[in-house]
Amino acid sequence: MGNILEIKNLSKSYNGIPALTKVNLSVKAGEIHGIVGANGSGKSTLMNILFGNPIIRETGGYQGKIAYAGKSLQAKSCAEVIRMGMGMVHQEFALLPDLTIGENIKLGREETYQFTDRLFGKKLSFIDRKRNDTSAARVLKKLGIDVDVGVKIINLSTNTRQFVEIAREIARTDLKLLLLDEPTAVLSKDDASNLIEALLGLAKDGLGILFISHRLEEVQQICDRVTVFRDGAVVSQYHKGEISVNNLARDMIGHTVQLANATKRAMKTRPAIRFQQFSVAMPGEEIKDLDLTVFAGEILGLTGLSGHGKLALGYGLMGMYPVAGEVIYENKKIDTLLAKTNILKGMYVLPDDRQALGILPEHSVAENIIFTGNQVKDMFSRNFGRSFLGFIDQKKAHRYVDQVVQDFSIKCSSPKQKLKELSGGNQQKVCLARALTVNPQLLFVAEPTRGIDISAKEKILNLLIDINRTKHTTLVIASSELDELKRVCDRIAVMVNGSIFKILFPDSPDLEFGLALAGEEGTYA
Amino acid sequence: MRNYKIKPPQIIILIFLMILVLLAYVLQMDLVILFNESLTKLVMNGVLVLALIPMLNVGAGMNFGLPVGIVGGLVGLCIAVNFRLTGFFGFFMSLFFSLVICAILGWIYGRLLNRVKGREEIAGTFIGFSMIPLMNYFWTLAPFQNRQMLYPIGGQGLRPKISLEPYFYNVLDNFCLLKIGALEIPLGLLAFYALICLFLYLFFRTKSGRATLATGENEAFARLSGIDIGRIRLLAIVLSTMLAGIGICVYAQSYGFIQLYDEPLSMAFPAISAVLIGGSTGRRTWIFEAVLGAYLLQTIYLLTVPIANEILIPEVTEILRTFITYSIILYALLYRDKRGISH
Repeated sequence: MGNILEIKNLSKSYNGIPALTKVNLSVKAGEIHGIVGANGSGKSTLMNILFGNPIIRETGGYQGKIAYAGKSLQAKSCAEVIRMGMGMVHQEFALLPDLTIGENIKLGREETYQFTDRLFGKKLSFIDRKRNDTSAARVLKKLGIDVDVGVKIINLSTNTRQFVEIAREIARTDLKLLLLDEPTAVLSKDDASNLIEALLGLAKDGLGILFISHRLEEVQQICDRVTVFRDGAVVSQYHKGEISVNNLARDMIGHTVQLANATKRAMKTRPAIRFQQFSVAMPGEEIKDLDLTVFAGEILGLTGLSGHGKLALGYGLMGMYPVAGEVIYENKKIDTLLAKTNILKGMYVLPDDRQALGILPEHSVAENIIFTGNQVKDMFSRNFGRSFLGFIDQKKAHRYVDQVVQDFSIKCSSPKQKLKELSGGNQQKVCLARALTVNPQLLFVAEPTRGIDISAKEKILNLLIDINRTKHTTLVIASSELDELKRVCDRIAVMVNGSIFKILFPDSPDLEFGLALAGEEGTYA
Repeated sequence: MRNYKIKPPQIIILIFLMILVLLAYVLQMDLVILFNESLTKLVMNGVLVLALIPMLNVGAGMNFGLPVGIVGGLVGLCIAVNFRLTGFFGFFMSLFFSLVICAILGWIYGRLLNRVKGREEIAGTFIGFSMIPLMNYFWTLAPFQNRQMLYPIGGQGLRPKISLEPYFYNVLDNFCLLKIGALEIPLGLLAFYALICLFLYLFFRTKSGRATLATGENEAFARLSGIDIGRIRLLAIVLSTMLAGIGICVYAQSYGFIQLYDEPLSMAFPAISAVLIGGSTGRRTWIFEAVLGAYLLQTIYLLTVPIANEILIPEVTEILRTFITYSIILYALLYRDKRGISH
């Protein structure tokens, strides 16, 4: 089959700083072409160019040739590209929260009543809700998920939203090329493999897919060809059969990664915290009647498919959502869960959604690191005038921040740099630094490696192990990356439907994890 | 301040201002006197502009409910005048009364705004609007005794315009007035303004101030960090209202009259225009932006009056003023929405 997309000698620079240099790439009809690269390697720039994002023209356009479906592509706007049959699924969601799933998927292409079609014309015709919803449901089914299409987007978990977003694109009949930017980043392993199945099916029907992902196993699994980007240039290209995760990883970062690995321990110390019949009403991630004991000094992994409540535990503990049940911390029952008192008692929670909940993007690195310590514990206040004034002791703060930046090797031009200018990995380090400033006994971390490139991931994991071993901080890590949890944790609790289904150990067989995640009691000899 | 960038609105306003200055020069107006006046105007209106900052920085948007604080300040002024307090003592007592009343009003206003989180601007507008008729009853029925405040005929109800001439008219304006030839610099007035700026600057360096900024930037983050969002927002709103009270006291002593009834209604808009001209986008706002904006806007107002009188019909001044004020707000709203989409 012929090439749908052909890129020749594509170069692009922002204010003289090259983002892409002489990129050659092609996508055939029915091919899944993978693109991998570390953060900042030029993947997003490529997407922006292909999809006619106005930012490209505003910053001076690009050099090189792009041919799409045999014609030269001169995209001026996203709308034009969409008309030509290209579809894109963004990292950030572009869905209307107040419309239902069905309405979102069929937006602009609604099924209408024929009678009113004739009466008022297609544009003013009444929408046939039933047919609309069944057709939307059919598309979702193709993707392997089963939800009520009448539910509003606002009530969905991020997981399901991702599916709806993809469904909206593939519901189009004129689709020739689909650009997927990290479609599985927010999905759990299980949902990701569902999606991959669906993508393989689509490719078989002749759709060209450009697939960007951080998850190298997936790329290895589904791509017909893979192009590796590093620093804005293509460093290597592999065909199906010669793709290996190790090679991809090596090409991406230019050297091999040392995987983080902790020695396993059997921890049966005193309980640090006990949850009894604990429920958290977090929409899309509910916890129902959970019973869990976390032992002092251990690293407990918390996994499960998304929507099954692994993220809600930390939020519930900090009083972000209504809770019920009992929490016993250090042998004392906690009556009301308030962030401030809990931090003072030695608990801390790092949320999964780093951009929305975890950082102050416009504040400096230093201000982010000392914020909680200063607010809750007055750690950097000058002593005069009691604490209600609380002017910061700049010298003390400087000394502390400089030390932390060095200890965690946070890459920034200076501690005064705005946090939003740092990469995901470094932002996560800043978050960890902020947590450690209040010296917690018990630290909840959710999705610590989400959206972080492969080499930074291992650094974060090593940092977590280090915190546990040297400071004896009890860690609870909620993550959908099972192999990471296996390398780091002492025990791994699998959650199904909002409560603990089974507690497994890192050396438990994969099959057992698989069954537990699906909520099935396995029978082993 | 450290990363202040000049944006289209400032450029347009600066060009407009330069044209005005040029015209004033061509029309042979006394530029020195105009400059003297611009300084007075800056402080006269500038405190009201500063009053917007705490609410902007806590993420509650532009304080369209500024009339709440202004009304509180007016009551304070009336109490001081009722007791015939004069000079500095009178002025500071009126500040004192205003602060007490504004603290109470601000607390109520803040409680209300905390219940309409996310829609503070529109709610504030209507709270301000509904405050006015309510206060109109107060002005007519409140048992003030000073004859000079009351309607001359009937002897009941406050006059719409109460002269401050016998009490504390221009006490700040004339305090430490430095005269170099024709140049008059109101040092006392500027010092008072600087003091309020300094107070705000220090406030944002305190623990509560930092919590305020964090709440404005990322509320969920602040909540996870153990900050009581409701309390911090209330604090910022009370502070905003109290500063508005001070603002109207400064305004009145400069202007020479206490203006009652419907007057406070429209006073929020020039203040909001000013802070937008200064470069605020409805989120975190620097003190420098508020000062710059107040100066630019007030100087334009100041220059349009004589120039328009000279080359156009006199009534056009008021039209121009209103036009500038509202179109700047409209521009800012357009501009902000655009930002919202691209992010």
